[in-house]
Amino acid sequence: MKHRLSYLPRFILIAFIFLVQCAREVTIDIPEEETRIVAVCHFTPGETFKVKVSLSQPVYDSGDPVIPEKVDLTLAKEGAFIDKLYAATSDDGQLYWESRDLAEPGVAFSITARVDGMKTIYATSAVPPHYPVAPVQIKPADISETILSDGRRLLNVPLELHLEQLPEKNPFFAFSLKHDVDVLQNVGGEWVTDYTYEGLPTNYSADGRTLSLLYDLSEPVVLISDKFWSEDHRTLYLDAKIPYDPAKHEKPRRIYVEWRTLSEEFYRYHLSIARQGSTLPLSDPDAVYNNVQDGYGNFSGYSVEVEMVELPF
Amino acid sequence: MQRKRLNLHLRFQNMVIRVKAFFFVICCFLAVCAAAQVPAAIDFECNACPPAEALVKLSLQTKVNIAFNDRFFSRCSPVTIQARGASLPALLDQISACAKVSYKIDGDQVIFFRKALKYTLSGYIQDIETGERLIGAGIRSASDKGVGTVSNEFGFFSLKLDDGEHKIVVSFIGYRNENINLLLTSDRFATIKMRANSELPEVVISALPASDSRLHSVETQNNLSLNSLNALPMPGGEADLMRMAALQPGIQTGVDGVGGMHVRGGNADQNLILLDDVPVYNPSHALGLFSIFNPDMVSHARMWKGDFPARYGGRASSVVDIRTRDGDFRQYHANASVGLFASSLSVEGPLRRDRSAFLVAGRTTYFEPWIDFFSKRGNLITFSGDNAGYRFYDLNVKLNYVLSDRDRLYFSYYYGGDLFQNQFDQRYTDDAGLQTDRYTLNSNWGNNIAALRWNHVVSKNLFSNTTIRYSQFYYQSQLAFNSTFLYANGKTGTLADYGLLYQTFIRDWSGKTDFTYYPTDQATVRWGLSYTLHDFRPGAISVNFLQPGQSPTAIDSLANILDNNEQLGADEAEAYFDMEIRPSKNWRVEMGVNGSTFQIRNTGYRALLPRFRVLRSGPRGWTQWVGYHRNTQYLHQIGSFNISLPFELWVPSTPKVPPEQVWQLSLGIGKQHRKWGWQVEGYYKRLDRVLTFLTSNDALVTGGAEDASGWEDRVATGEGRSYGAELSIEKSFGSTTGSIAYTLSKTDRRFPDINSGETFPFRYDRLHDLKISLHQRIASWLSADLVWAYATGNPITLAGVKYTHQSPGNDLKREVYVFTEVNGYRLPAYHRLDVAFNARFTSGRVRHGFQLGVYNAYNRYNPFYLYLDGRSGEKGKAIQYTLLPILPAFRYEIKL
Repeated sequence: MKHRLSYLPRFILIAFIFLVQCAREVTIDIPEEETRIVAVCHFTPGETFKVKVSLSQPVYDSGDPVIPEKVDLTLAKEGAFIDKLYAATSDDGQLYWESRDLAEPGVAFSITARVDGMKTIYATSAVPPHYPVAPVQIKPADISETILSDGRRLLNVPLELHLEQLPEKNPFFAFSLKHDVDVLQNVGGEWVTDYTYEGLPTNYSADGRTLSLLYDLSEPVVLISDKFWSEDHRTLYLDAKIPYDPAKHEKPRRIYVEWRTLSEEFYRYHLSIARQGSTLPLSDPDAVYNNVQDGYGNFSGYSVEVEMVELPF
Repeated sequence: MQRKRLNLHLRFQNMVIRVKAFFFVICCFLAVCAAAQVPAAIDFECNACPPAEALVKLSLQTKVNIAFNDRFFSRCSPVTIQARGASLPALLDQISACAKVSYKIDGDQVIFFRKALKYTLSGYIQDIETGERLIGAGIRSASDKGVGTVSNEFGFFSLKLDDGEHKIVVSFIGYRNENINLLLTSDRFATIKMRANSELPEVVISALPASDSRLHSVETQNNLSLNSLNALPMPGGEADLMRMAALQPGIQTGVDGVGGMHVRGGNADQNLILLDDVPVYNPSHALGLFSIFNPDMVSHARMWKGDFPARYGGRASSVVDIRTRDGDFRQYHANASVGLFASSLSVEGPLRRDRSAFLVAGRTTYFEPWIDFFSKRGNLITFSGDNAGYRFYDLNVKLNYVLSDRDRLYFSYYYGGDLFQNQFDQRYTDDAGLQTDRYTLNSNWGNNIAALRWNHVVSKNLFSNTTIRYSQFYYQSQLAFNSTFLYANGKTGTLADYGLLYQTFIRDWSGKTDFTYYPTDQATVRWGLSYTLHDFRPGAISVNFLQPGQSPTAIDSLANILDNNEQLGADEAEAYFDMEIRPSKNWRVEMGVNGSTFQIRNTGYRALLPRFRVLRSGPRGWTQWVGYHRNTQYLHQIGSFNISLPFELWVPSTPKVPPEQVWQLSLGIGKQHRKWGWQVEGYYKRLDRVLTFLTSNDALVTGGAEDASGWEDRVATGEGRSYGAELSIEKSFGSTTGSIAYTLSKTDRRFPDINSGETFPFRYDRLHDLKISLHQRIASWLSADLVWAYATGNPITLAGVKYTHQSPGNDLKREVYVFTEVNGYRLPAYHRLDVAFNARFTSGRVRHGFQLGVYNAYNRYNPFYLYLDGRSGEKGKAIQYTLLPILPAFRYEIKL
């Protein structure tokens, strides 16, 4: 017994050493990242290039981003300089930089931006060939209505966005739905349009698979995962949801279907941002796709068509 | 001696006379010819000659010296031979056909010798008091060194021995060695009964494979010692098999168990965890803090980190094979234990003495006081809410019935689950009034497992086991949301009132039959086949509007998912052939092949998977081995977190989601020297088509569960690799025992859809992983245990920079965090110290056991998750969440 007890101090000593040496505070060392130029520009044929320029911030910075007022921003086409962008201001007072030249399909455009004290950034992209959807047909018999608890009505309009031709690779697409609602008034016994709510954003629903493969973006479009088109899926089935109030003589009039074919730069950038948007605390965010050399942001092209469909209602 | 013979139940009826010496009879010497040639063709006649006489005659005729013992032919009848132009071997064969002899021709010499007779000693090894069959007990012949075997999963053994006298040694950890003197003159079937050590059993906290080194120098599996299971300090004093398994090198777990077990860089869903031969889909309670295996029920547990035998299939990385106890065939017992978090009670006894027995065990928890305690600590993950509650429970039932000496039926059943409820309110006030949103969440999940097995000893060296299995894992979550508004004028209104039900399950029905054949004392052959019918429901959500007419558009989309109540069926068939050959005393070769098919939606997958391992045992305890195996996996667990939480979904391989594939090569060397042993093993593991789940943008989160709609299109397929070296040092005998398990490894993943297609560290990649276990026996009734674990911090994806995305003219903007690299940062290192004192003593017929200790003794706040505060204004300021701070460990057990 005595012999065995002689091991006890040794045992306790080992435990004590661990107790003293291992108890210490945890510190996190986040490497200092240099401030870089951020450029955001999505361009489409027939429109000018509009570039929003700002500066990146440390992640712990609680202030608003710095918008540099002196930016030397140039545009090149197929590697050759074509324009120097000028400063412009949007309706809400935002400073941005705009070109005089218009974007063209199938041509590589690039921008170079310089801000004093910062690394010069460079980005390039092109507008991809457009893959249109077949004309949208709305059958009156398919439209249904739900009465909401507040007395309004919800119009359910099935839409089929059918791609007649699917690209062999990079099936990168996005869409958006908008609608107009007329407000009628009775003029001499006849209901005529008094005024119109134009371009209202349209909610939609779909089957679970479709919903799970759609991503809301910080652009006014919804991104479609390229995996949606697997197994020769060619059609996006949506149910447009249009609320209106008969008591206020409202009447849904038309739906606008915007269909975009995206460049790889546009698609991958926004998909990576969407994937980091999960608020689940243990989920793995994805790294942000970045095609801006020595900076951040995105410079990418897309082609677009908008179809207006009158509601047979 | 008399007692021992009775105990051994080996009575031998027929005694034979021992042959003490050989008498060589020289038949004839023909002195003239110095070098006689054996004639090629011999004419030989002999009518009704005794064989001995015939041999003498042949010797004289052919001038070939023929040496033999005339006792070889004492029981032979006379032979008549009339041969023309016959060869010498043909004549020798003809003459000696009646006797069990063989001969050797060397020039003009022929020497006859007796063929060694082999007999089979087979049967069961069991506990003398309870009748419990002992798995993995070693049985060997001390007089015929190198001949030995171990009992199989049902305590059966079969050993081929030369006829004659043998000293048989039977050994098993925690039991006294049994030495049996045996005279073997025919095949014997016997039940060998062993007596447990009455003293405090030797605790071997092993990082080395536990085995009888005289039988197998190094086992490919680790036998998880149940004695150390009860001695190790655990949170709350709750003994936990999986936590003990994690003390092995090469095994990583999430922080404090949450996040599953990762073997050599594999995913948590790649572990085949078997409870009485039935796959378990959710092996843990409390998100991984505790395992579902009630220690009172466990009889034997083994683990393979790779190179597992071909009889195990369906998972890619590891096997944990857990067998439950049979119950006492002779006496009734009760065992109760009370810990800080849980209490258990088990009852066992005979239904019919020596013929059938039962064992029932239950366990439940009382977490609420602890939840209240932790809720007051802001830096810990807590169950937030005004009315939060959590508990888990287990129920195990085991019945078995001895039909005959050669037939036995077993029935095993497990039912256990977790319950979590939480209710909390969120209130918003403005000029119009007060809005109150009330969330009520009720979640429950668990396993249902059953097995009916029939053991049959077909012959002295052929054993069969046939099993019908059922396994189900389910998760269900109900979320009720109620939003009311109290207007400034005192009126109230209901804004929303609906319920959400989320359900997912996997359910298997299967049948299998296995055979074990012992053709020689150098070989064991196993083969078998199985069929499993899988039934999956990856996740269904239903919405119930409690207020008629409630259909806000935000919720309406949920209602559509009612159509996605997807249910999938799949057929899986498997066959295997496994062989272990010991060509010499120092070599052992294990080889096998596992073939399987998986059929789903008119798509079939097939796999033929080789397994191979060679071991060489050298002198002075040295052992070297090399192994290679391939595995495939048709079932996968996917979810928002990809950390094997219970609400993550079990899904099958489909035409879009191919099976995962893994191959591994390992190479090792070890040495056992007296009380000490060490081994080093290096491995390289390749994971192809490994899966991860891509979180949806608008995930429907119901208590953590995610809508599974379109899951096949949200799975990313990639590849991974893991390589490293594992060092184990162990002292297994004496009053101070312990082990050191160190792993140096690197694991990464690459997915085309993640991290821009670049390789990134696996979530549980840890360069260094060290576990030290010490056991000090202070007195015969008292011991102390210490565990210290250290690991490199887990990788984490953090952003150092952010910016604002906003297109010109666009109102929408978003703060973008620049995660430059997935898992590019490291959390601080994980380490903790656990200490416990264990006491066991007996008072009359009652056994008492105490454990008193502390988990995480120096209160290390190991980071479970780190959240960078993006608006703090201070560099590096983060909110760290810790799961388990310092926790007392207390358990009291009483056995009647």
